[in-house]
Parts: sequence; C-alpha cells; structure tokens
Amino acid sequence: MNCAQTHLHKVQLETKDYKTDAKPFWCPGCGDHGVLTSMYRALAEIGVDPNYLVNISGIGCSSRLPYFVRSYKMHTLHGRAGPVATGVQLARPDLSILVNGGDGDGFSIGGGHMPHLARKNINMTYVLMDNRIYGLTKGQVSPTSQRKMKAYTTPYGGVEEPMDPVLYMLTYGASFVAQSLATNVKMTAQLIKDGMEHKGFAFISVLSQCPTFNVIDDAKYFKSAAEELPAEHDVTSVDAAMHAVNVAHENGRIPVGLLYRQERPTLDEYMAELVKQAGGSPDYDLRKIIDLARP
Amino acid sequence: MDKNDLIIRVAGEGGEGIISTGDFITQACARTGLEVYTFKTFPAEIKGGYAMYQTRASAAPLHCQGDTFDVLCAFNGEAYDLNRARLIPGTAFVYDGPGGDFEPEIPQGVHGYAIPMTQTAKEMGNIKAKNMVALGALSLLFNIPEQALREIITAKFTRKGTTVVEGNLNAFTRGRELAAALTKTDPWTLEVPDSKRDVVVMSGNDAVGLGAIIAGLDFFSAYPITPATEIARYVARHLPKRGGTLIQAEDEIASASQVVGASFAGKKAMTATSGPGLALMGEMLGMSFMSETPCVIVDVQRGGPSTGLPTKHEQSDLFLAIHGSHGDCGRIVLSVEGVADCIALTVEAFNLAEKYQCPVILLSDGSLAFSTQTVPYPEPSSYKLVSRKRWDGHGEYRRYAITDDFISPMADPGTPGGMHIATGLEHDETGNPSYTSANHEAMQAKRFRKLDGVVQDFAPAETDGEGEADLGIIAWGSTIGVVREAIARLRAEGVSVKGFYPKLLWPMPVEQFEAFGASCRKVMVAEVNFTGQLAHFIRAETTLRPESYTICGGLPFTPAMIVGKVKEMLA
Repeated sequence: MNCAQTHLHKVQLETKDYKTDAKPFWCPGCGDHGVLTSMYRALAEIGVDPNYLVNISGIGCSSRLPYFVRSYKMHTLHGRAGPVATGVQLARPDLSILVNGGDGDGFSIGGGHMPHLARKNINMTYVLMDNRIYGLTKGQVSPTSQRKMKAYTTPYGGVEEPMDPVLYMLTYGASFVAQSLATNVKMTAQLIKDGMEHKGFAFISVLSQCPTFNVIDDAKYFKSAAEELPAEHDVTSVDAAMHAVNVAHENGRIPVGLLYRQERPTLDEYMAELVKQAGGSPDYDLRKIIDLARP
Repeated sequence: MDKNDLIIRVAGEGGEGIISTGDFITQACARTGLEVYTFKTFPAEIKGGYAMYQTRASAAPLHCQGDTFDVLCAFNGEAYDLNRARLIPGTAFVYDGPGGDFEPEIPQGVHGYAIPMTQTAKEMGNIKAKNMVALGALSLLFNIPEQALREIITAKFTRKGTTVVEGNLNAFTRGRELAAALTKTDPWTLEVPDSKRDVVVMSGNDAVGLGAIIAGLDFFSAYPITPATEIARYVARHLPKRGGTLIQAEDEIASASQVVGASFAGKKAMTATSGPGLALMGEMLGMSFMSETPCVIVDVQRGGPSTGLPTKHEQSDLFLAIHGSHGDCGRIVLSVEGVADCIALTVEAFNLAEKYQCPVILLSDGSLAFSTQTVPYPEPSSYKLVSRKRWDGHGEYRRYAITDDFISPMADPGTPGGMHIATGLEHDETGNPSYTSANHEAMQAKRFRKLDGVVQDFAPAETDGEGEADLGIIAWGSTIGVVREAIARLRAEGVSVKGFYPKLLWPMPVEQFEAFGASCRKVMVAEVNFTGQLAHFIRAETTLRPESYTICGGLPFTPAMIVGKVKEMLA
C-alpha cells in the first residue's frame, strides 16, 4: 500500500546524527536500548530533519528517551504525552511527531487519552515501550503485567487480569497498529519507519524487557512467545487483526509484525478543510466578526 | 433617590420565550443608544423550569444589575410566587390574565396590569406568540422603543419566512393594543436618548472569545462545562475565519495539555473552563511554569465545592487560581469586572503569557458569563499585542538561559539550531536534567524573578475616590460594579467611603494595597464566597487587616447590601 508521505522536511543523515551527547540511563540489558537503536535507524532511513522532528514523552523509564534523540522535544507529565503531542501536531501539521512511553504511562494514568488519539487519527507515531511493569518506581505491577506476578505491591502475587494494548488500539480506531520485540531491531526499526511514513495515528507496541524488575517477561520469554504474522495476513481488516491477536493469546503466543493499516483523513486535514470553507486567513477582517455583536 | 434607569424582569417557564423576550428588550434599548446590563437565571433542566431575564437600561453608565426590578412581567404562577416578595410598593406588575394559570393578589401600592397573554396568543392561533403579546404590552407601558423592537423581531424571524414574521408582529401589535386600553398608574418610562452610540452588546463569555481572537489566538482546546461553554461556542464559530482551530478534548487534563503543546509549537493557545476543570489542570499549570511555556486558562467560576451549584454565581476559585498545583508554582492571575474587561483583559492575559512565558489564569464568574452589556466598539487596532521573545539565531542556543530580565528567548520547532527540550524535570540552562541544590535554587529564582515586572507592566488598580475615607471597600470580579454603585449612593448621602478595584490579583500589587489601606480608617473586602479568599491574601501579603463581608447564596451582591453593611460598620 502506498501511504502518503508526511515528512515535509527531509535531509540525508546517518544514525549517529540523531544521537545526543546524553548517555542512555537505562540498566544494562533493558529493552529500551533496542528501541532507541531502532528509532535512530528509522529516522535515518526516512531522513527526518531533526529541526522538524518533535519527540514527546510522558514519565517513566522509557519516557527518558527524547533526551537521547537530536530533535525538538518535550518531556511532559505522567500520562500526558498524547494530548500534549496532539496540541503540537494540530498547531503545526508540518512537524513530524514521535511519542514514546511505557505501559503504565500510556494505559494506566494516560489510558483515558488513548482512544481519542486513535479515533481522531492524530498524525503522529506512538511507540509504546511495554515492559509490563513500573520500572522507575522500582517494580510495581502495571496494566499489562501477568496476573501471577509477585512485585513491590503484590507480595502474594497480582490478582488483576492484564490488558493487551494492541487489542485496545484496534478497537479505538487506530489507523496503524503493529507489534514488535525490542530485541528485534530490524523489525522494530522497519515498523517505526512504516509508522512514521503512515499518514495518521500509528501505534507500535514494542515489548521491551525489564531485566531488573520483571523476571517473568524477560527477553527469552518474549522471543519464545513471539510469532510473526503470516505473509497472507490481511492488514486492511480490523477483524483479521483482532482474530490474529486472539488466536495468538489462546496459544500463549505474541503476534508480531504489522497488524492493521488504514488510510483515512487525519484530524488536522479535517480542520484545514474547515478553515478553508470558512475562508479562513490571519488577514480576515476582525471588524466583520465584531460587527455581528452590534445591537 | 433619583433614578435614571429602568429595570424590567421577565420571568416564567423555560421554553416560553422568556430569554428571547429579554433579548429583544435588551437589543432594542441598546440600539436606541441606551446602556444595558442584564442578569439572567436559567433552569438547570434542559426543558422547563423557572427562567428569568432582567434588563437594566439607562442613558448613564451602568455597573451592575441593580437592587431589584421596577417592572415584573410574570408569564406564570411560579414566576409570580418566586417574585412576590419583591413586589414592593411602586413596582409595576404585568401578568398573564385573565386566562393564565394564576390569579395574583396585587399588593398594596403595586401597579398591576393584567394582559391576557396566553388567551390572546391562543385566539391568534399561535400559542408560541405569547411572549410577543407580552413584549407589545411592555413596549407600550414603559416606552421600550417600538420601532427598534419591530426591526429586531423582523430580523430574528426572517429566516422562518414572512408568515412567521407577520404572526409575531401581529401578536406584538395586539399586545400594545391591550395595554393601551389600560390606565397607566406607575411612573416607569424609559427615557430614550436621541443619539446612537458606537457599541456592541455581548455576554461575558462571548466577549472572552472575542478578546482571545483579537489577541491572535491560534488554537483553543475545549471541554464542555457550565458556565464556560459559550466561550468555546463563540471561538468555534469565529476562529476558523482567522485560520485557527478549536478541538474538543476528552477532559480538562487533555485540554490544558494540548494548550501547552500548541504553545510549545509557537502558537497562541488557550482553554476555558470552570472550577472543576481548573482543579484537573493543576498538574499542567506546573508543567507550563516549569517548562516556561505560555498558557492562558479562563476560569468562569461557579458555586462550589465539588459539583456544587453549576449554574450559580460565586467567586470562590481564588485560592485554586493562585496556589493550585504542587510545588512552588508561579503564575499570573487576573480577574474581570464586566464585559468590557472580558475583551480587554483576555488580550492582556495573552500579552502577559507571551511576555512572561508562564500560565495566566483569567477569572470570570457565573453572573458575568451570561450577562449582556453594552461595550464601546472594540476597535481591533486599538489593542497592543505582545508576542514572545524569540531566539535571534546567533551563537549557541540555550532555552533556559538566565538573562538580565530572567526571560529566555524561545525557539519554535523548525528553527535551525534551536533544538531543545521543554521539560517538567528541573533542568539547567540548556534543558538538561539537573538536581543539584545550586541549580534548583537558581532556576526557581529565575522563574519567579522574571515575574517581578508583572506589577509594573499592569495598569495600577483603580482607586474610586480621593483623599482620606472612613471606610475603604476592596472588591474583585463582578462585585466591583456593585461596589461602584453602592459608593456613589453613599457619597451622595455624605458618607466618607472609597473603593479599590484590583484586576491583577497575582502577583499581588502589594504597595497599591498598602497605599489604599493607609488612606482609609477601616477596610472591608466584599466577595461572593464563604471563606473570604481575597481578604485572606490581603492579610497574608499586606499589613492591612480588613473586615471580610462575604455571601455565598449563589447570587451576586446588590448595591443595597453593600450600602447597608457600610452603614452598619460606620455606625
């Protein structure tokens, strides 16, 4: 499928040109290193001009990522990366917007925002870095933690069922949904690149192991459970995508690859159309608006 | 006391055309050169319930809704019951009868006029024209300009076709005929000036929307909440004409977040809400202050706490506006007196946000939200607009550079060499996280000291009266207008009283408060809340020890209440 190119400002750079002087602060073996490497690669392959890239995050281990990416960036509040990014994107549709965040950030405290990013088709790429635990606060269960997990506040084991972010995003109406493993840099980089080249809200869930606090969902487990979507998977069908995820769940597997992609107008396109219909221009005579209030 | 104004209250069941009747009276008065100041209450229900629309009109400037009505027009028994206590001798009382749902007793000294509104409308085969019959009668009895009313009725119904226009005009004429057959016994007649004035008539909420558009608003994020939603309605209608957009967010947390995002992207952005929404925005106020991202938030206050009295008037968000959010979080807080301020101070809110790169909260209130008032034509070119200081592109860019005035130039995304991070973490001049004590102290000092210029930048608070006074009254928000009128009356009686009307509430212009206090033997603060919130800040920040006069019954003060309190204090 030929998706619209959304990056108006392109340059030729190498992956190292997207690195900052700040050294990633993640633990050795953390999946987030792999996500960062994948991002550098995707950015270089597209040739995104760092001056027109805005990398936005919330709070958590993974939300530190923008400090390591040469770009304009915002390190916002816990759960608020999505709506802040929405403001940036609608104000300046010429910018490329890349959001990073964890499972707690996006699907617990920020969970109320996710449906609206998706259904409104805000033109941005959202990279979920799902380690299935709260890392920065030293290991509490998150909405994606497996039920049996013993952790900081669940000394007898967790009692809540986990959620699957990709199923939610498919339901919410995201126009691009994919999943990958942090250990698979090649696939992750490709999916981030595809997501960024997709016009609309692209959601990429990357399962990113936390070797420090999550002993259940380690890299080995993710690798063994991952199952690439078959070549014949129909990426234009939400039903097919949901079916693939549900079947994988039943078999204790994690589907990876591109689940779903749809082309439809983005919110900023609808808004531009609205302005056009109104004959909108910064030069529009204010007196014409004020005169409406004459008695 | 001489009265040069007339107050007409129309009351009845919501859906009977109470609001449009009031609107027609208001528009006709304004069109013929009168000042108007309206006051409304709406039912909380969508259909039915008691509705009231009061128009005060005068050839002289008006500052508040007045004490009580001179003329009551009751469409039904409930309207009569609810207002019976205010039917004082001298009042004119126009009511639906015979054929209405009630038969009022006319109190001693009240001038009663029975107009068969329902019955006449039925006879004319158009029950919806009941309010036009009433309007015709009011027009004849109290000299509400007939020609202007006819023009306004025609314009209002033209869209619905000539039959509807004529039906309404006929009902209006019939109302005039019915009134003409009665003997007028009351003294109330509008004095209509012969000169027209260059004015607009707007509600407080619409005026905030207009002010924002004049200020150069690019982006508005809304979440529906009473009594602020009309601001979003106005902006949604008119902002696209200027090339901007409005988004309705999923909640107020998202609204504030989107505003901060749009502002980071280089645009002028705002949201408008009421107290419950502002409470949710607390965390983003901190982000705006910490990351030095301009942000304008309008809070149209309502009765609280919690869900409270959503449609009622209160001035009880001052604590929240000044101190809401965690940590030491600075901001600028303004409040508006009337509709003219809603335009001018919204422009000012943007100017201050842009200049000082911090959150600016503009406080309006429930009675002002829907109050329509005449305002001199707001000529757009008469407003001074300020844009943020932007990096000139020379040298190495440091987003949070500590400069002479502590204001650091910003760089819009897309500016070559201007890449930086806007962060809620404590950071050094480059934006990199830094938790050292020296850095945190230096950066907090930077963020607060840049606000030192605000008091100088903002017009000094108005002092009403000169020299020494026995009593000084301090008021904020729409209470100011009530105090103005009370002071005028007291002065006419020879009482020694002064007023002080701050509109910049934070940072507090302490020296101005002190100077005012020094000229008064006693000081009183009048405000519509339980705890005396402005009085609290005055006691905390100045040497003044004011007496607090508070009410919180969901309605504004009346001038008579202030007059009574002053006399009690000076007795």
